[in-house]
Amino acid sequence: MTNDTELESRIDEILKSEKENAIPRMTKKDYIILAVLVGLSLLGIIGGFFL
Amino acid sequence: MSRKHDVNKEIENEVYCGTLPVLPKERKYGFLDALLVLSGYCIATWSYTQGSYLATLVGFKQLLIGAFLAAIFMLLIYQLPVILSSRYGIDIWIWLRSVFGSNGNKAVTLIIILINFPWYAVCCELFADSMENLLGLFGIQLFNGAHLILSLSCVVVGTIIALRGVTTITWTTRILVPLLLLVGVAVVVVGFTSVPMEAIWNYQPELAGDADKTVNYVLSIEANFAFVITLVGGMAEVPRLCKTERSGFYAGVLGQGAAGSFFVVVGAVMAIAMQYVTGQMVDDPTLMMATLSAPILGLSSLLLVAFANIGTQAVGSYIYGVMLKSTFKKSSYKILVLILGVYVAILCIWGKITEYFGSFLTIGACVYAPLAALLFVDFFMIRKQKLDLKSAYELEGHNAYRYSKGFNIVGIICLALGFVFTLLIYDPINGVIHNKILFMLTPTFASFIFTGVLYYLLSKIPAIRRYIRRDTHAGPDKKPFDRAKTPPRQNIILLPFIWLICKIVTGPYKLEIEKKNMEGIKPPFLVYGSHNSFMDFYVTPLALKPYRANYISELEGFEFFGEWIYRRIGCLGTRKFINDQHLVKNIGKVIKRGDIMVIYPEARYANVGTNSHLTPSIAKLAKLLKVPVVTINMHGNYLQQPIWNLKERKGARLKAELKCVVRPEEVGKLSVDEIFSRISNELQYDEYKYQLENKISIKDEWRAEGLHYPLYRCRKCGKDFAMTSSGSKITCKFCGDSYEMDEYGVLNSTEGKKIHIPDWYEWQRGFVHDEIREGKYKLDIPVRIWALPNSVNFVDCGEGRLIHDNNGFSLEFDNYRSEKHETLVFPAKSMISIHTEYDYRGIYGPCVTLSTYDDTFFIYPTDESRDVFNPTKIQFATEYLGGLYN
Repeated sequence: MTNDTELESRIDEILKSEKENAIPRMTKKDYIILAVLVGLSLLGIIGGFFL
Repeated sequence: MSRKHDVNKEIENEVYCGTLPVLPKERKYGFLDALLVLSGYCIATWSYTQGSYLATLVGFKQLLIGAFLAAIFMLLIYQLPVILSSRYGIDIWIWLRSVFGSNGNKAVTLIIILINFPWYAVCCELFADSMENLLGLFGIQLFNGAHLILSLSCVVVGTIIALRGVTTITWTTRILVPLLLLVGVAVVVVGFTSVPMEAIWNYQPELAGDADKTVNYVLSIEANFAFVITLVGGMAEVPRLCKTERSGFYAGVLGQGAAGSFFVVVGAVMAIAMQYVTGQMVDDPTLMMATLSAPILGLSSLLLVAFANIGTQAVGSYIYGVMLKSTFKKSSYKILVLILGVYVAILCIWGKITEYFGSFLTIGACVYAPLAALLFVDFFMIRKQKLDLKSAYELEGHNAYRYSKGFNIVGIICLALGFVFTLLIYDPINGVIHNKILFMLTPTFASFIFTGVLYYLLSKIPAIRRYIRRDTHAGPDKKPFDRAKTPPRQNIILLPFIWLICKIVTGPYKLEIEKKNMEGIKPPFLVYGSHNSFMDFYVTPLALKPYRANYISELEGFEFFGEWIYRRIGCLGTRKFINDQHLVKNIGKVIKRGDIMVIYPEARYANVGTNSHLTPSIAKLAKLLKVPVVTINMHGNYLQQPIWNLKERKGARLKAELKCVVRPEEVGKLSVDEIFSRISNELQYDEYKYQLENKISIKDEWRAEGLHYPLYRCRKCGKDFAMTSSGSKITCKFCGDSYEMDEYGVLNSTEGKKIHIPDWYEWQRGFVHDEIREGKYKLDIPVRIWALPNSVNFVDCGEGRLIHDNNGFSLEFDNYRSEKHETLVFPAKSMISIHTEYDYRGIYGPCVTLSTYDDTFFIYPTDESRDVFNPTKIQFATEYLGGLYN
């Protein structure tokens, strides 16, 4: 198998697995938690100005 | 067997230490392993240096906020795109090829490594310092040059570990990180127990007289932002080996934001405690342990710290080695790691890296903040999480990321402007604040926002969008254009600019506007115009001045110029030759609000400067809306830029006749037929006749080039698709019959015979009608298909088959919308004509388009069908079969 063939077959497999969500995706819930964490960190940073 | 083993090993090496995408089944890391490895990458003795630096700026509580919250805030944002690494099993540097281009990416990688890898020389320096301290504890004095030998030994051992690959790295970090955490805990315990807890908790730095507390706090936040963002380049190596996106992402956030930051705080505690006891801030944990606690603790921590420096060097060499491998894919991973080792060794020999560490860190952040912003915006907003992997890996025939000789000029300019923007806010070398308001956002975050917004806005400019989105086939925007959306009025602020542009464009062609029967005619009214070329859109606004108007435009204009601007200049989007009820409703809305509605009822440019047949529906519309009807018949527009050759002819002269054909008082009284007759009469034109009568001389030597598209049949031998054109001549490929187009647009044969171009054109039509009547007409050819679903992008549908016969069109292809191989049928009677192009946008060649409500399919010939694909003949057949000539 040449390097390019190996690469091409891997890309095809990756694209297939992407469609099938073989690697579990970040969910909506994950993004909401993330947004809350960003908000809380920002509040904390702003709070630091008053210390 | 042995050969097979070698091949497998080779691929394995390529996967873990190279560029190949890591398949889901090959993923090694769960959250914990990824966290440990990334903690190993983030925890280093320079964390102590950072901690003691922060302690010079702010009190302990503010320091805690900065070290944890600021780091986590920035990490949560800039780390987010590393989910691409988990999803595709690739490094971010593969994705960045789309942002900078394949060669641009190489340049950026080298810059990043040059300014970032010196960190590892600092590790080696700290290792040497620790070893000297250790030997000092035993009273051993070292000879001159021993420091260099010690630091080089750290380079050598770290490089050897990196050369052994990912498994060794994993085990190194599995042992290293927990032990380092133990040292950290010990330092905190010793720190807090050696001095009163209040001394640390209530610690405030002694500020110089002119120091501003707020500025210092912002500087501490900036230091934390810069500290974490400079790790972006290497952070994706581990997530690409993770089994889930979540584990890859949070391992990065917590590896640096919790473990890394903990060590920064440890460094601060140590520095504050040492200052309290000795009056001096120290960032060496071994010295602190030896001073504040039992020497044995100092000794053991020193050994661990020494080992940590080697581990950091090893992890860094691995990560940057793979990063380089992603860029220079033909080079061996081992060679690249050795080169990195040599670079660090040179810096150690130079001996001044610790002195310039701050400059390296800050300049690194100036580059990294825009880089992280570009990655973020590109991943989420521009490419919407879809990459053309085959182009990213530069597989043969996949060139979406080649851009301009391998450089994406837009990405590189944004990176450069982001860098400059940071320096315009704050000069990190001299510590001068240039813009206090932006400084409050911190230079790193401000630059992140600036670069991200700049890149996003630039991507909204259609020409730039097309430049950076050559990969739309990988993740096209499929959402259909919203035809129902109420069109805005032509923007009153833009109106003077529209007139100015129209004036500038028409100026060289000395446009004359003649108005007839227009006294007392005020909006709302309908305008029906002749349609010759794009120049029509420049002439009409000037003819309608001082009123504003709305125009109907095919969707591809929205794609070309951008939907936002196209709507602002008053365009209503539709698809050609479909029964668009939304369009009729929107026309009604325009008239109801008192505006002018301009319609070009032929719905296609004149092929040879003559009008197409119109349908009575245009008169019915006027009756329905109960408004006056005005016609605008434009002359010279075709001559200036005929559809078969889009080069502009400077000799053309423009004239427009604006005439009210149905006055307000007549609308109710006239029948549909009477209105239709008046409109049709006013929209008759023959541009070659106009040229000859007005002696408009067009002397361009290439004036006949492209004429073979509308005149495709040889008048002498009678063969279809026989003509070819060059310069001012049109010639038959088969019998050699040739005509010279003179400067007044008349074709002259070698025998002195004169041909009026529209006559030749209509003569061909008769043969097509005959073919259809005799049942001989059939087109069945392979074609290339691009779909236009909206104003954002074309979608490549690959090759398909087009059949055109007495039943109409059928188009067989892989429909991207249904993801099935389908045949779309367009009955003959549903289309009175077809949109044709002879050289679409001057690049893509001849095509015809077929539309559904949600897609316009641009259909081009393949190499195989090029010789028998002629848009003019297809149009003749469509018009006949659609009943336009009945």
